[in-house]
Amino acid sequence: MSDQQVPVLMDRDSREWWLALRRHELALQTCTDCGRLRWPSRAICNDCGSLEWRWTESRGTGTVVSWTVTHRPPSPQALVPYTVVLVRLDDQDDVFMPGGWNGPADGEGLAIGLHVRVGYQAVVDQHGEDATILRWEPSVGSGEEI
Amino acid sequence: MPHAERTLRDRTAIVGVGYTDYSRDSGVSTQTLALRAIRAALDDAGLGVRDVDGVACHRVGDSVDPAQVAQGLGIADVRFVRDVFGGGSASVGTLVDAAMAVASGMAECVVCWRALNSRSEGRMGSATGPAAAAGDAQYWIPHGHLTPPQLFAMETRAYLHRWDYAAEDLGRVAITQREHARLSPRAMMTQPLTMEDYLASRWISDPLRLFDCCLETDGAVALVVTTAERARDLRKPAVLISGAAFGGGYQLTSNHWSDRSVAPAVRMAPRLYASAGIGPEEIDVAEFYDAFTPLVLMQLEAYGFCKPGEAAAMVADGATALGGSLPVNTHGGHLSEGYVHGLNHVVEAVNQLRGACGPRQVPGAEVALATSQPGMLSGATSAVVLRQAA
Ligand SMILES: [Zn+2]
Repeated sequence: MSDQQVPVLMDRDSREWWLALRRHELALQTCTDCGRLRWPSRAICNDCGSLEWRWTESRGTGTVVSWTVTHRPPSPQALVPYTVVLVRLDDQDDVFMPGGWNGPADGEGLAIGLHVRVGYQAVVDQHGEDATILRWEPSVGSGEEI
Repeated sequence: MPHAERTLRDRTAIVGVGYTDYSRDSGVSTQTLALRAIRAALDDAGLGVRDVDGVACHRVGDSVDPAQVAQGLGIADVRFVRDVFGGGSASVGTLVDAAMAVASGMAECVVCWRALNSRSEGRMGSATGPAAAAGDAQYWIPHGHLTPPQLFAMETRAYLHRWDYAAEDLGRVAITQREHARLSPRAMMTQPLTMEDYLASRWISDPLRLFDCCLETDGAVALVVTTAERARDLRKPAVLISGAAFGGGYQLTSNHWSDRSVAPAVRMAPRLYASAGIGPEEIDVAEFYDAFTPLVLMQLEAYGFCKPGEAAAMVADGATALGGSLPVNTHGGHLSEGYVHGLNHVVEAVNQLRGACGPRQVPGAEVALATSQPGMLSGATSAVVLRQAA
């Protein structure tokens, strides 16, 4: 996928999250009133209903919930196989975040429960502009972090 | 009793079902498919186009506008128009919308349909230009993760791992349904399928193989819904909409769903059974939305036919095959009969309750379950319990 233009489809709610990625920061919304984390972007807290929130930085670590290895390309240009990983963040157990995989294209070595950390991949978006997308990678010294 | 007046239970009925052929290239528009299926369903009911005063369909930007269908049918003063944007999780819910319209008196006779040229005129989720408002899909599209097989593959691996299920457990679902399809005159896939064939089939999105995935079909089915009273005087034995429910779920990324080991329909199922006044033990036949094989296992668990983690054994024991304790997807489902986006399951349930299924008939079937996609990826689900009228 890496040599192609990547569709980055930010909207008014998610723009700050995408811009944070470009700074190599992983952002989550935090409810100002109750402290609950949420992602993707929402205007309201799904626990207390507060409309007040701020962007905060994730610990950037989590565990692998699942992954896929795509063999049938969704578009003719896509290079297969490639792996996409779904990660449960350490910050809060119901925040799941998909991303690419900084490892073998066929997913070898992945395991459910594997501890990972966030990585970043520079890409060119559909307008020819620089952009950044998530790319999970094995965490180093994960024993202490769990 | 106010509660009794507020329930849908047995107040409406499906009185006609119709279909076009299922093919790889219909050669006609989705409008033509819809109108042909509706005409067939009205013929089946012994009704004419003048009897129809409501229309309802689900679509995902890939089919004819229902208002255009209403005009095509010549309904001068249509009383109910429902155009649901949705896929597999909306299918049964659209029928429930029709039932609610009839039960409330909004309309007297509503036709529901799904018409699609999913093989010849564009595949769902193909990578041909994402919509301007991508919603949460913006977080997976950049990774090349966007087609239904990819999205369900992610759910599938976590699910298989949680319950220690093997590839063969999915394969048995595909094989069981292929055997059923061999008994359906409408089925697109009628060659026998062996476990060797299944395991040798190519990866689509690991852990999903080709034979884990639904077909892509050109075709339409339609249903006619009216009041239970009126149903008594019509041509075919009425099938009552005995219970109905909508439910929620999660997308790939969402809060408040930490546990991904049982499909979200598990939270809706008690509501569905309560609405029909029965429990799962009274269901004689189940038609589960099956865009992919794991959805069958997930729904056996979510709808209470076995405990979580026991569905694979239930299928391996033959319980879901014809002749088993709970025949499932007796038409072959989306895996082997055809893909008419959830509604061919409702049609099959109706035919089972009419005793009209010939060699694949479940003897004495009186109560059937028909479901939508059980709440993953869309965050919505729906289902009905259907009952043979007394
Ligand atoms: Zn809050």
